[in-house]
Amino acid sequence: MALLVFFMMGIAFWHFTVFLPDRFWQGIVGAFIGAVLGSIVFGMIVQEASGKDLGDTDLSTALIAIPGTAIGLAIVYFIGARSEERVG
Amino acid sequence: MGTRRSHVLVLLLVLGMVIVSGIVIASKETKLGLDLQGGLELVYQGQPTGTATEVSGEDIDESISIIEERINKLGVSEPEVARLGTENITVSLPGVTDANRAAEQVGTTAQLYFYDWEPNLIGPEKAIGSKPGQPSENALKESEKRWLAAGRNPKKPEQGRLVFAGAYPTAYEAALLAAEQEPNENCENCSVAKPRYYLFEKAAPHELVAGPELAEKDLYVSPTGEKLPKDGIVVEVPAGTVLVSELPVDEAGKVIEGSDPGWYALKDDPALSGHDITNPEQSYENGTNEPIVTFSFTDSGRSAFQEVTRAIAQRGQAQAIGPASAEEAAARSGHFAVVLDNEVKTRPIIDYSQNPDGIDGRQGAQISGGFNDIDEAQELATTLQIGALPINLKLISQTQVSATLGSEALHQGTKAAVIGFALVILFLLLYYRFLGLIASIALGAYAIIFFALIDLIPITLTLPGIAGLVLTIGVAADSNIVIFERIKEEVRAGRSMSSAIAAGYKRGISTIIDANVVTLLTAFILFVLASSGVKGFAFTLGVGTIVSLLTAVVFTQALLGSMSRSRLLRSASALGAGGEGKRWHFDFMGASRWFFSISGVILIVGGLALATKQLNFGIDFESGTRIKVALEQSTDEEAVRDALDEAGIKGEEIQQVENDPNFGDNVFQIQSHQLEPGEVREAQAALESEFGIAEDGFDSTSVGPTFGQQVADSALKALIFSLLVICGYVALRFDPKFAVPVLIAIFHDILITAGVYSLTGKEVSSGTVAAFLTILGYSIYDTIIVFDRIRENVPRMPRAAFSQIVNRSMSEVLTRSLATSFSTLLGVTSLLVFGGATLQDFAFAMLVGIASGTYSSIFIASPVLTAWKEREPGFIRRRQRIAEVEGGRVPAYADEIEMAKLRRDDEIEAGAAAQLDDAVAEAAPGAVATAERPEDSGNGTGSRENGDTDAAAAASAERRQRNAERRARRQARRKHGRGR
Repeated sequence: MALLVFFMMGIAFWHFTVFLPDRFWQGIVGAFIGAVLGSIVFGMIVQEASGKDLGDTDLSTALIAIPGTAIGLAIVYFIGARSEERVG
Repeated sequence: MGTRRSHVLVLLLVLGMVIVSGIVIASKETKLGLDLQGGLELVYQGQPTGTATEVSGEDIDESISIIEERINKLGVSEPEVARLGTENITVSLPGVTDANRAAEQVGTTAQLYFYDWEPNLIGPEKAIGSKPGQPSENALKESEKRWLAAGRNPKKPEQGRLVFAGAYPTAYEAALLAAEQEPNENCENCSVAKPRYYLFEKAAPHELVAGPELAEKDLYVSPTGEKLPKDGIVVEVPAGTVLVSELPVDEAGKVIEGSDPGWYALKDDPALSGHDITNPEQSYENGTNEPIVTFSFTDSGRSAFQEVTRAIAQRGQAQAIGPASAEEAAARSGHFAVVLDNEVKTRPIIDYSQNPDGIDGRQGAQISGGFNDIDEAQELATTLQIGALPINLKLISQTQVSATLGSEALHQGTKAAVIGFALVILFLLLYYRFLGLIASIALGAYAIIFFALIDLIPITLTLPGIAGLVLTIGVAADSNIVIFERIKEEVRAGRSMSSAIAAGYKRGISTIIDANVVTLLTAFILFVLASSGVKGFAFTLGVGTIVSLLTAVVFTQALLGSMSRSRLLRSASALGAGGEGKRWHFDFMGASRWFFSISGVILIVGGLALATKQLNFGIDFESGTRIKVALEQSTDEEAVRDALDEAGIKGEEIQQVENDPNFGDNVFQIQSHQLEPGEVREAQAALESEFGIAEDGFDSTSVGPTFGQQVADSALKALIFSLLVICGYVALRFDPKFAVPVLIAIFHDILITAGVYSLTGKEVSSGTVAAFLTILGYSIYDTIIVFDRIRENVPRMPRAAFSQIVNRSMSEVLTRSLATSFSTLLGVTSLLVFGGATLQDFAFAMLVGIASGTYSSIFIASPVLTAWKEREPGFIRRRQRIAEVEGGRVPAYADEIEMAKLRRDDEIEAGAAAQLDDAVAEAAPGAVATAERPEDSGNGTGSRENGDTDAAAAASAERRQRNAERRARRQARRKHGRGR
């Protein structure tokens, strides 16, 4: 259930990337991948580190996904911006 | 053959089909599922036995035919036994109410083995039992002490007989002995080829808690679904050894019911099995007139029987010293044990004085002495007649539906379907007028043919099947709407009526096929992977979709085609195509960020709800038993709880149901851990005696943890397969890039629905998941309609930005999209309002799915596609050119005048470039390479409407590309020169 929450929060915050400049690697689809992977991977690490089962969820499960999504998006944005600069 | 003639032929064909269908409906009875007529459904899981280590397909097939024979003997009309998944069997017994008896008779494994008793005894048992009539005194004394220590008096005659045979007083001691034996890993003749596990209480006398199980983990879940504490003692009995019990008998040899058995550990080396016997029959012993079971042997069984009885007789003879009386000879003769399902049924002696050369199997043999009444003997004979099941069957789900509730559900479902049908027809007539009349006639034909098919195939009509039927009415209406909107467009564009009809069908058909193929694929995946109830839904949906293609496309085309020159179709307004029609002029792509924000906020709320409230999974997933009972006397929840507690059923949740349409206020819903059939019957008896149960007022469903897990797994598999197949299809039919937005839109729909279910706390059942999965397939209908138009408009608008193409496409199809969704919603709303509880569950999932699907196809899938495609170099250049012409902005819609300017510029440039090309070609032939046309990447693979325009556009684009490259080369040369 925690995975579903991470996934949901990742996709939820991805929706707001339309307000950012489209410099993500592979555009909006790349941002989607970054947000989802970021929220799930980061969420799982924190969940495991805090000794919680992946089936357990509470408010913190949803909140954990937010920094994960931000990190995922930042990575994809960084990769996109760099490749744009390289192309010139 | 002329077009008119072919139309007439199609009309006659459909008319013929409708007449035949009418006859079929009138003459054949519809096969109703258990949920509509009442009865019992049992789901068994097959587990390996004998030398097998896994359940094969053949085992399941053989079990199904044996179960069918058993059911025939029960006298149940129209039973259904079917495979469910790879290792489950579902048994539907209409009209059966005694779940306990049915479950016993259907699922009894009846593993029958015959053992040469004495050589197979092991350990201290052997010291006593292996020398019949002359047991070791010391061993006997030891054994008696053991029995006393276990609190069982060895001096009682019935216990004494077990002690004298070498039995242990407890299963634990026998199991410990069995556990010490060397495993026989490659045992070919064993009754079980794998180790088995037993769980005993930790405290003495170590009562048997669970087992035998083939997996240790299964010990900790009781057959009733309760989790057992993991603090017991687990004993592993290796392959090659078997633990059997034997009930004590009285002096007459009759089993003393209710007494504790004695236990033996045996070498698992049976001499014969149930497969070696034939013609088992219940009979009477000559002289005593006691019930017995007689049987014959197969050829191999006969010689095996002769051999084993000879061996037993020779052993008896060897033990006899000198001449012995008949009594002494009988006392020293060895035993031949008949073991049914690990329980010794009888252990007759093979008297060496009477049968010194064993018993000739040609006369057959008999099982005697172990039966308390004729019924017991008859039951064993029947079980043996039908044969032992090749596998163990574990009851994992049981549903009992009362006939009253079933017929009420049928009434509600029929009412919802009829009202839904009428609403769709009303909408079509009001909105499409004459075309609506044509569609209504087609829908009528569809309903008649479809219903006849249900009777003819026959499809067992279930409640989920009715939901599928209502959904297919929407599918059939949708196909008409797609085509009618096309026809209206063509009429408004100035085409004649006949050519508008022809063009409408020609252009609409690919959209309809794409959309219906997706629905069919989803139905197929559901049918293959889902549980039995959902299978009916999937089958109905699949058949309905195919029939709808016939009636909504072929039939209406023939009908309209044959009428195209009639007076009825002279006026455009008769088709609802008068005036300019509604053309949306909204900047869908520009506003998409706000729609994205709305979705984002909804998903955040849903995510928070999911994290804090989770989902309310029903017993389909969580396992347990749910009983719905209508009581005759008024009472309250506490009194019902007390009655159930007295019957030994604890830990239940009881809820009074108010205003039940069938039974009024005095209805209670009881939910507990999974109860065995016997416990359900006890609960029913307790409530009956305490409060009285209204006629047909008892309904129960029991789902085991295994089945719950299987339902969850199959739902997940169905979801993943549906996503993969749908995306694969869209990628193939459109463009791989079109598949990604579809996938994202589906995720959006799934998550929003999960959020809605979490927020509302509505129960998630297997039916909910199936309904939602189907809606996913169906909601892609909308996305495909929009994408289909985008694919069509890309080559038509060779200079427009992708956002302009999408805006144009959306404005053209939005009315159609809303109409299709609305017509489906009419049917679904009818289910929600008029259907019973089960249909309402389906309808709610469908409602959320359709609403979310329509929204996501317009405001999520298309903007994502736009944002992604606009990154392609061809579309970047288009945007740049439009921005140059438009003063730095890209308008929402492609302006005709500006497009014309761009075209003229292209042509001027192209003319100049052509002259230059000619000059260059003359100077150096082959120097100008054909450049790739970047615009092609956005063209998709769709059919082109205007070939000339497209060819001109393509040529123009190619010229523009060449010019751009030449300009780039010139600039590079100049730059290079400056650099030097």
